[in-house]
Amino acid sequence: MGSGYIDGSMVAIALFLIGIYGLLARRNIIKSIMSFGIIQAAIILFFLNINLHENVLPPIGDASPMADPLPQALMITAIVIGVSVTAVGLTMFMSLYHHYGTTNWKKVVAMRKEER
Amino acid sequence: MMSLFWFVILPLVSALIGYISHSKWAKLALMSMQLFFMTMAVLNLITVKTIGTKYEVLGGYPVGVGITLRADLLGSVMILLTIFLFTCLILYNYHKPYMNHLFMFLFLALQGLLCGLFLSNDLFNIYVLIEVATIVVSILIIFKKDSRSIYDGMVYFLSNLASMTLFFLGIGYMYKIFGTLDLTLLAERIALVEDKKILIIPFVLMITAIDLKSAIMPLFSWLPKAHGTASAPSIISATLSGLYVKSGIYLFIRIITLFDPVFDGREVFLIFGFMTAVIGFIFALSQTDIKLILAYHTVSQVGLIVFGLSIGSEYSYWGSIYHMLNHAIFKSTLFLTAGIIIDEYGTRNIREVRGVFKRMPYVSIAIIFAMLGITGAPLFNGSFSKYLIQKGTSRSFWFEVSFFIINLGTIMSFVKYSTMLFGKNEGRFKIRWNQKFVILLLATICLLGGIFGPFFMDILFDVHVTISASSYIDKFKLYFLSLGLGIGFYYFLYHKIGLFKKIRELELTFNQIIMAMFIFFSGFLTYMMLTYS
Repeated sequence: MGSGYIDGSMVAIALFLIGIYGLLARRNIIKSIMSFGIIQAAIILFFLNINLHENVLPPIGDASPMADPLPQALMITAIVIGVSVTAVGLTMFMSLYHHYGTTNWKKVVAMRKEER
Repeated sequence: MMSLFWFVILPLVSALIGYISHSKWAKLALMSMQLFFMTMAVLNLITVKTIGTKYEVLGGYPVGVGITLRADLLGSVMILLTIFLFTCLILYNYHKPYMNHLFMFLFLALQGLLCGLFLSNDLFNIYVLIEVATIVVSILIIFKKDSRSIYDGMVYFLSNLASMTLFFLGIGYMYKIFGTLDLTLLAERIALVEDKKILIIPFVLMITAIDLKSAIMPLFSWLPKAHGTASAPSIISATLSGLYVKSGIYLFIRIITLFDPVFDGREVFLIFGFMTAVIGFIFALSQTDIKLILAYHTVSQVGLIVFGLSIGSEYSYWGSIYHMLNHAIFKSTLFLTAGIIIDEYGTRNIREVRGVFKRMPYVSIAIIFAMLGITGAPLFNGSFSKYLIQKGTSRSFWFEVSFFIINLGTIMSFVKYSTMLFGKNEGRFKIRWNQKFVILLLATICLLGGIFGPFFMDILFDVHVTISASSYIDKFKLYFLSLGLGIGFYYFLYHKIGLFKKIRELELTFNQIIMAMFIFFSGFLTYMMLTYS
C-alpha cells in the first residue's frame, strides 16, 4: 500500500522501535506497560500488511480478490492476548503500588534493598 | 490410544471442574487423573517408539491451514517427564493450606500448557502457549502476595513479555517470507531459500527471544528473581527450575534445527553456553541465600546443556538431552528439600543453617543423592550425562578444559551448599509421609538414572551407548581430583576473594534487562550480517 518507501510494515517497525525505546528508557512502570500496548499495535499492523495488495476485499463469503485470511485470524487471537496481558500487568502494578507507593522502577529497587 | 490434544485440554478441563465444584474430594480426583495421564503418556511414548513420529491436524483442516501437533521421541519423553514431576509435586504439597482450588487450577493449567508446548508444531501456537504460560507462572510466583515476590513476579512477567514480542515479530517475518507457520512445511521450504540474507532478521529475533526464555548469558538476570524469590511456594520453584526452563531449551533445539540448513550458529552458542555456565556458578558461589544459590545454579546448568548441544558431536547432543531430564529430577529434589529446610529453620541464610543431617536424616539423604547427581559423581545420573558430553569434547583440547572448568565450578558451589549438612543440632524434625515419599523417590531416580543410564538412553531415545570400563575409571579419578580441588578452594581460598562479596547484591533493574536484550540483539545481528553478507 502507499507509495515509495513508507508502507505499512515500515510504520510498524518504527512503532515497534518506539515501544522498545519506551521499555528501555522510561522508569515509570505505567509507561512500561503502555509501551507494550504500542508494540502490540505495531505487530498487528505488521501482520496485516503481509500479502496485502490494493483493491482486495475482506475475506468474508465469496470475495474474489480476497485478502489473505490467515494473518487476520491470527491477529484476532493476538488482540485478545494483548488485552489480557495488559490487564494482568496493570493488576500486578496495583498490588506493587499498594506495597511501595511509587511508580518508579528505580525507587522500588531501592526500597526493596532496605526491606532486607 | 488418546489423541494428542487431550494432553493439553484434559488437565485444564478437569482442574476447572475441580475449581467450580469446590468438593472435598476434588484434590483426590485430580490426583487420580494425574495417574491416568501418566499411563497415557507412557502409552504415547510406546506408540511413538514403535510407529514413529505422530502428526495430528486439529479441526480436520488441510496441513498448513489447521494447527498441527507433533509428537516425536524427545517431545513424548518431555511430556512423560512433565506429567511425572507434576504428579510428584502435587503429592508432595497435598496437605499445604495454600493448595486450594485456585492454586490447583493454575498449577494443572501450567501442566497442560507445557505439554502443549512440547507437542506444538506451529510457530504461532507456540507463541500463544508461551504467552499464556508466562501469565500463569507469574501469578503462581506471587501467589502468597508477599511484597518482594510481587516485584520479582512483575519483573519476570514484563521481561518475558518483552522477549516474546521479539519472537512474535520474528514469526511475522517468517510468514511474510514463507507464507506458512507450520514447522514441518517451514523445514521443507527453508532448504530452498537462495538468498540467506532475508532470513537473518527473523532468525536473530527468534533466537534473542529464546535466549531470554532459556536464560542464556547476558539475559539470565530475571531467572534467579523468579526461581529463587523469597516467598514463592517451593513446588513452584521446583517446576520453574526443573521444567519451565527446559521448555526454552526445547524451543532452542527446535529453532536451531529448523535453521540448520541455512545458518550454523554453533560456535557462537558454544561460547555463550560456556560463559553462561561460568557466570552462573560464580554468582552461585557468591550467594548466601539457599534458594538463590540453587537458582543461579540452574543458569550454570543451562549453560552446560547449551554447550553440549552446540559441540556438534552426536554423543554430546544426546548427553545434553539426557542431562536436561536429569537436571529436572535433581533440581526439583534440591528445591523441595530447600523448602523444608527454610520452613524448619526459619532462615534462608546458608551460614545460619547447621546440622541438617542430625536434625532431618531423610531430607539429608535426598540432598546428598541430588548433590552427587548434579556434581556428576560416579554411579549417579549426572555422571552418565556428563560422561556423554565429555566424550564429545575429546575432539579438542579447549573443549575438554572448558568442560572441566564447568564441572569444577559445579562441585565448588555444592561444596559450599553441603556445609549446612554438618554441625551439631539438638532438635529432631518429623517429616510427613507424602513429602518423605516424594523426595526419596526422586533421590532414588537420581541413582537409578546413573546405574541404568545406557538402558534408559536405549528405551527413551533409541540411542545405544556403551561405556568402557577404563574410561569410567578415568572419570572416577577426575571426579575425585575435582572434588579435592573444590574442597580445597572453598576452605582455603574462597573467603579471601573479595569479588564474591561485591557481586552478591548485583542485580539488573527492568530497564537494564531490556537494555541487555537490545544489546544482545544488536550484537548478534551485527555478527550474522558480517558472517553471511
